[in-house]
Parts: sequence; structure tokens; C-alpha cells
Amino acid sequence: MEEKDTSVDRSMRLPSERWRRGLSILLLVAAMGTLVVISLLFYRYVTRPAPLPELLIPEAGRNYKPHYLFSIYGVDHPVGVTLSPDGERLYVSETGGERLIKMFDRDGNTLGFFSPSHTKPGERAPVYLATDKLGRLYVADRTQQVIFVYDRDGSYLDTLLGPNSTISEHVRQLAGDVPSNDSISYNHQTGEVFLGSQAVTGGQISAPALHEWAPLGVRFTSNGDMLVTDVSTEHHCVHQINMPVQWSPNSGDFNPSHRKLAGSGAGLGELKFPNVAMADSQGRIYISDGNNGRISVWESQGSFLYNFGMGSDDGFLRLPRGLYIDHLDNLYVVDVVGHEVKVYDVSQPNPVFKFTFGSLGLGDGEFNYPNDIVVDITGRLYIADRENNRIQVWSY
Amino acid sequence: MKKHLLGIILILLLLVLGVNLVSANGGPHGGYTATTDACAGCHRTHTAAGPRLLVSNSTHNLCMSCHGSTGTGANTNVDDGIYLASRDDQAGDRNHGGENTDSGGSLLGGGFSHYRGEVTTSAHDMTDDDNSIIAWGNGVDRGERAEITDVEFSCASCHDPHGAGNYRILKERVNGEPISVDLVDESAKDYDTEHWGSGTSDLCAACHAAYHETAGNVGSDSSGQVSGGGFTHRVDMPYHYGENENPETIGFTDAFGVNVRVPLAESGTSDRVVCMTCHLPHGSSATMFGIADGAGVPGETSATDSALLRLDNRAVCEACHQK
Repeated sequence: MEEKDTSVDRSMRLPSERWRRGLSILLLVAAMGTLVVISLLFYRYVTRPAPLPELLIPEAGRNYKPHYLFSIYGVDHPVGVTLSPDGERLYVSETGGERLIKMFDRDGNTLGFFSPSHTKPGERAPVYLATDKLGRLYVADRTQQVIFVYDRDGSYLDTLLGPNSTISEHVRQLAGDVPSNDSISYNHQTGEVFLGSQAVTGGQISAPALHEWAPLGVRFTSNGDMLVTDVSTEHHCVHQINMPVQWSPNSGDFNPSHRKLAGSGAGLGELKFPNVAMADSQGRIYISDGNNGRISVWESQGSFLYNFGMGSDDGFLRLPRGLYIDHLDNLYVVDVVGHEVKVYDVSQPNPVFKFTFGSLGLGDGEFNYPNDIVVDITGRLYIADRENNRIQVWSY
Repeated sequence: MKKHLLGIILILLLLVLGVNLVSANGGPHGGYTATTDACAGCHRTHTAAGPRLLVSNSTHNLCMSCHGSTGTGANTNVDDGIYLASRDDQAGDRNHGGENTDSGGSLLGGGFSHYRGEVTTSAHDMTDDDNSIIAWGNGVDRGERAEITDVEFSCASCHDPHGAGNYRILKERVNGEPISVDLVDESAKDYDTEHWGSGTSDLCAACHAAYHETAGNVGSDSSGQVSGGGFTHRVDMPYHYGENENPETIGFTDAFGVNVRVPLAESGTSDRVVCMTCHLPHGSSATMFGIADGAGVPGETSATDSALLRLDNRAVCEACHQK
């Protein structure tokens, strides 16, 4: 028998076997890794189903009702909600307790809280809020009758006293030598002006004249205009303020052009306690006309178009307050005494009612005097559930 | 059927007699027409969540949707006891009269959670919507409390959400008792200037009757004992305390220069001391300390219970008695 010399063959096969063995191990590790990742995702979904919807692509049109995800607690009678431009930060205004602005991440973890300096809780009432493209936060305060401006972390920047005046402008005109980084604030209830922590009212610096406006709702259009609802007595209207792109808070320079929409009353083109105004992708402005129980629609050039939400059909509104229009031109209207959110498609010339979600109650997905809503690009909805002391998070 | 018939007759009578139900602050409280669309703001015919076909089972929460601190539907912020925007309707074309109420002016009734910027230390609790409440001197002696049954205590106990014959929409029957409050500022509709009329104390007496002693000699001498024994401060009395300054217009200035004043009813004519001279019906942020802080003693006040007194400690006594 001739012994077969296999040494060469063996040596020739060795790299191939090693390669196959290595590949097998690699595949095994990859499979195990995938399994671990899937398991972790599943575990995370089971224990906290918040992040998963981000993996899904929202269906075009969103022609189906969203579903309840989870709630954010630790807020006292919240009435206003808004998001940072990247959707990673949620800002909430409280009207109970200390009346703070609270910040949360997308999962509902608290990031911080703040309030206007030199004011006591009874002297402030933050209501609706909004962020501009740079992430600056604007908070309309009903008691102070101003709009406070903060940076994304809640550091105070300036105060809008009216559609074209700020407290920094007022003070710098009276005392031009104020250092540029000094915080300038104002308490309308006490009439005191502050430089940093020092009250400086009197002498060279006087309290600013009372502006005939009472800002309530604030939102931004896609081109940067600020829409402010004004409920000062007998002058219920909406201010469309052309915010300068280069505006720097606390600079003492604020003279934007602006115009008023509507007047007080119940007739066509009139408003009673307008709460929030927001524009769709075509620039049409939708105003929640609270005490008239309807949505007032205006064309981008400032002419009244029509009202809707009256009557007795499914789209009927009782007391509309907060509203939001997503990037697909879905209009979400919070009906505070209906304890629900009504959704309309406003992409066409006339609005089309789509559906309602939510009902009165204390459980998951139930509302007790909801007041405001904001929707992010992924289709996640945040709703201020006032009397349930929570923010409800929903998703498509 | 009889009830319906009676209701229809009553409505027709009101129309014939020309009784105008006024609207407070131009809001939804009255002034209804035959084709009104206002009902659905608060009621649901077939799908109501609370009694009286209300959209909510809490009257308080419903009222606070407009009258809370956010002022999203009204300027009368009863939560903080302030008027939120100036009433500058000099022309009178919006049924608000000619007088102004200062922006940020303190509401006459006080506030439920804050008053004059401070947290309240006592307030009528409207939040429970409980069918049984306890009131001091309700069918019992002073210093004692008794339950008022079959009465839901809420904002609607004293105010009529459907409007009344007065702009403060005060009811004409509270806890079963007829009330007739003469609102002397009816034409001006002022929300922050003290204008109290005759009959003001009757509103409180509907639930706190034992404190409503009006006889001329009550508390003044040994013959002035009240039923049940003891003495109490007289209510609805004309103010005439010797040579002391008028507590409403001049008041009392203490050794530290602090001046305290209290309002009188029927000001300038009868100058009467009424419940509201010393107490705020909604809530007060007055603080009690020293001897006035009777924490833990039943029926006594503490720093967290100012018994609705409108001034710190016993300043309401000094305002008139000026010792």
C-alpha cells in the first residue's frame, strides 16, 4: 500500500478551513449580537414603549388615529407645550404650584425648570409657548402681560413688552451704558426693573409704559413670523410680527414690522379670546377662536377667509384652545371641555374633518381638560392634560 | 309634563316682564336668545359627564377653564384674585360701562390660590364638588360647625352661571335662603373698587347664619347676649366709633407708618360694617402670627388659616377701633 502523502493537501486546505471556521464564528457572533440587540429593543419596548415609533416611517397623510404611548408626570396643571426645533426637548408651562417652565427629554426625563426672575408664583401665569428656528423659547405670560425669551437651556434673555418693544430696548435707551451681558428684566405686577439682581427703578430708569396688549398664544410660521394672540380688553386680535432673523435679545434693538388680524366680536373676521394662531404650509393662518367656539381662517396676506368648527357634525368644536399644524398639514385642535383632540386635513382649500381622539377620564389616553398640543416630525404628539396633571404622549 | 309647562310659563313671563339677564364680562353667562348656541359650551344633552348635563363632573374645573390663572377665556382671574386686562371701554359699546378696572387690579372677592401675589392662607374650598360640606354656624351656635346636606358646594353655590339680575351674577337664593344684594356699582361694573351694597351680609348668612347678629345692642352691653348665650360682634351696623377716623377713607396708621383700611357697605350714606368689611369671600393671603396664630386650637386660626380675614393678624380690628 502506498501511503498517500496528505501533508501538502492538508497544508493547502488549512487556510481555507481556518477561513471557514473564522467566518462561522463571525456569523455566530453577528447572529448573537443581532439577537441581543433585538432582545434589548424588545425589552425596552415592553418596559417603555416610547422609542420604537421612531423606527417607523409615519404613513403619508396620517389617516388613522394615533395611539397612546405614555405620560409624563411631575407637572402641576400644565397648559402649554412646545418642542425644540430638533424635537429633542419638550417645554411645559405650569399654572399650578410654583408655575414653572419645565424641560423634559423625549422619554419624559426631567432636564430642568425655570421661571421669570424676580417674580413670585402669584405674579406670573405662563400659558402658551413656542421656539424659534434658533431654539430660543418664547413664553407668553398672562399675568405679566409680556412674552419672556429664554435660550434653549432656560437662561433668561429678554422680555417683549409689546409687538415692537423689549425691556432691554427700554432700559438701554434710558441708560445707554448698561453692559451688554447684563440681564435686564421687569416685573409688570410690581413695576420694578432689574439689572441683574438689582432693582433699578427710579431715577434714570423708569418702569416702561403699559402696552395695550395681553399676549396669550405664541407660535412661529415657517418663515419666522411670530403669531401672537392678544386678549387685551376690546382688542382681541392676532399680531403677525416679522421677527428679524438677526435679532439679538438684550441688544436694545427691536423694531420689527407687524400687523394685526381681526378684531373683537362674534361676527365674521372677529374673535373672542383667541388662544393660539398657527400657519399651514401655504401660509394660511388658523386661529382657535375660543369663546366663539370655532376656528377662524385667514389667508397669508391678512384677509379673512372663513370660520369652521361650528354646527353639530363630527367636526363640531365646543371650546377650542391649543392648536398645532404638522408638516403634513394636519390641524390638531384641543377642545378643552370636549376633553378630546379633533384633527382636520387643511391641505386642501377647505378643511376636512378626519377624526377625534381621546375622551373624558383619568386613565391612559383619557383627558381631563386638555389645553394644548404639539406634534413632532416623527408623528409623536404631546398633549397638556391639565386637570390630570400630566403630559400625554401619543404616536402614529 | 307639569314641570315643563311651568318652565315654559316662567320663561314667557320673564320675556313679557322684560327681565334682562345680564352677561358678566361679556361672557357666556346669560343674555341668551331663542337661537342661542351657548349651551354646548358647558352642557351635553345625551352624553354628559356630570350632573345637570355638564360636560364635566367638576363644576370648579369647568369654571376654572376660563376663570383660572391662565385667563384663556376671561379676564376675571379668580384663582389669583386679579383682573387681567384693563377695561377701557369708555364708549360703552360692549356693555362694560364707563368705568375702568385697573389691569392687575385685585378682585373684590379675593383669590382662591393667590391674593395680591401671595399664596392664600384661607379660602373657600371649591375643589371637592362633594355633596356634603361643613359650615361654621350653619344651624348651630357660633364656634360650631354643621354639615349642609344636599348642596353641592361650588362656584355655582353663590354665582349663577346662567346670569343673574346683577353683573357679578350673584344668585338670588343660596342654600335655600333668599338673597337680595344691592350692587351699587351696577352701572360701572367695577371689579376692583370696593362698592358694597345693602344685603351683602345676607350672602354669607345663608350658610353662616349664627354669625349674622344684627340687633342694636348685640355685644355692646350685658343685655346684648345673643340666642344661645354669649356675645358676638354685631353685623350690618352703621359705623360710628366715637371720634375715630373713617376706616374706609382714612383708616388707622400704626407707629411704623403702616396704614390699614377696610371697606364699608353703603359707603358715604349709611357706612355699614358688613361681613366683607373684615372678610374676603373667595380667599385671603393674610398671615396670622403671635397670639393670632392659634394653630391646633379647634375653631381658632393659624398662619395657614386666616379665616378669610382681609388683613394680617387683627389689623381689621385696628382699622375701626384704632387703639
